[in-house]
Amino acid sequence: MEYFLHIVIMLNIYIMLVLSANLPVGMARLLTLCQAAFYGIGAYVSAYFLMQFNLPFIVVALAVMLITGAFSWIVSFASVKLKNDYFILGTLGFQMIAYTVLYNWTDVTRGPYGIPGIPGIKIFGSWEISGVLAYAILTFVTMCMVVMFFHLIKTSPYGRLLKAMRSDELSVQSVGRNTVVARSWAFFLSAAISGLAGLFYASYVSYIDPTSFTLDESIFIISALFIGGVGNIRGPVLGAAFVVLLPEVLRFVGLPDAIAANMIQIIYGLSLVLVMYFRPQGLMGEKTAN
Amino acid sequence: MFGQFVINGLITGVLYSLLSIGFALVYNTTKIFHIAAAALYVVAAYMFWVFSSHLGLPFWLGGIISVSITILVSVLTEISVYRPLKMKNSSLNVAMIASIGVMTVLVNLIAMFFGNETKVISNEIMKVYTFGDVIITTPQMMQLVVGSSALLIFLFFISKTSLGVRLRAISCDDSLYCTMGYSTAGTRIIVFVISGFFIALASCLTVFDIGMDPHMGMNMLINAMVAMIIGGVGRFGTCVAGGIILGLLQSLVVFQFASNWQNAITFLVLLIFLFFRPQGIAGYKQRTV
Repeated sequence: MEYFLHIVIMLNIYIMLVLSANLPVGMARLLTLCQAAFYGIGAYVSAYFLMQFNLPFIVVALAVMLITGAFSWIVSFASVKLKNDYFILGTLGFQMIAYTVLYNWTDVTRGPYGIPGIPGIKIFGSWEISGVLAYAILTFVTMCMVVMFFHLIKTSPYGRLLKAMRSDELSVQSVGRNTVVARSWAFFLSAAISGLAGLFYASYVSYIDPTSFTLDESIFIISALFIGGVGNIRGPVLGAAFVVLLPEVLRFVGLPDAIAANMIQIIYGLSLVLVMYFRPQGLMGEKTAN
Repeated sequence: MFGQFVINGLITGVLYSLLSIGFALVYNTTKIFHIAAAALYVVAAYMFWVFSSHLGLPFWLGGIISVSITILVSVLTEISVYRPLKMKNSSLNVAMIASIGVMTVLVNLIAMFFGNETKVISNEIMKVYTFGDVIITTPQMMQLVVGSSALLIFLFFISKTSLGVRLRAISCDDSLYCTMGYSTAGTRIIVFVISGFFIALASCLTVFDIGMDPHMGMNMLINAMVAMIIGGVGRFGTCVAGGIILGLLQSLVVFQFASNWQNAITFLVLLIFLFFRPQGIAGYKQRTV
């Protein structure tokens, strides 16, 4: 049962991460390679808040989302100046710098030793939740709220603005819309939700170190998104479910441990290539004009 | 001490330039963000290990076999992944994501067969060349000599021979190239052959000195991309300039601060270039829409 609940928690965290990546990548069509940087910043900021102050969950969550969101300003700034491949390279640079700082700024982040003993989330006052079941319920409720939030965004005028921008940014500008502001909000919300996922990860696992937030993790999130599908809600959810559940399914098939981890990665890579060839919008993604 | 760091930086720079040219050949001509180059780099390293260290062939023979296998894998990537995607008129982002998939598959295949631990080619103590207070080891000497001669031959080839001109033509406009009666698909194969050659050469020369592990490719490729951006996109000589500047810069960072900040400085330089001079030192100024 605990094993099952653990998978549910990780699944919820990854659904949030992949959905948050979907906002800039799928809805605004700006490929970013720095989701793991926001995830990591969120985790480290929440570790600080949880260990230093005795605050209720809502306050911590809002603070973490605001601070992580503030970092997205760097990416928004980059998106004004840089287009296409240059923007991807810029976000890659941001990811690498964030990782290097987390790894080397030992006075603050304890570098490669990581931060152990992060306390649990307190819902009200000093009632600290613990145990897998409580986390499973909390992350599930939050995940549902995130899904609803993204659904609202997609159907709102703002969602349609993003959709118009990904088709033709110039004509959106010509009818008097400020595309820079719209894009900045997309990055802000995406970073904030990634930070929220980082909060759950940090307090659930109670230990964080920089190696969880590498470029490989960013690529992993983007792969999950592209396998599942871009642009809508079910695609990212399916993608997250695919990458989280596949290792567990393969465990029951009985692959030897020595090759299991690599085998799973090979399957991800192959599915990515095949999906890109047969269904470039992803398994359940929104079909758009090229 | 300063002279030593300059020489070390120069040699690292030559290695970056080689890989950078391998990446830029594909990027400039087909516009594909060829992330699978990271995996080709790893493939070349492990093939070199298998043939020269494991099977005990001489280093030069192991190197040649490794380069040939990498070229084969490079061409296979083009035929089995990039070309079908191009036939379907897929966008370049799709090709890049597929390239990430290819990289994941190849790197993990290597890791599955050879394990994740670090491997070295040779444990022997080799001769050291001393010039004043500058010391150059045998692997470094080989990197400098073989690497820079390969770069010089390539720069001559790309600017003077007719094949070089055709490679540059296809990077300008491949449909016009097609109309002139040349085969785009055939020339793309040549591009991937030369690109595979340079990736493998960079890999073999590097791992001869410092050994290998299956996940080193991405880090090296990122450095090579930074070298390409610093130098300037759209040309090839600029890759060499960018690589050497990056190598010297990293070496001086180690000299002045500490080696663990090397990556942060590299990407800071990348961001500065992207913001203030996206065409690099001597690249073509490109229109952004």
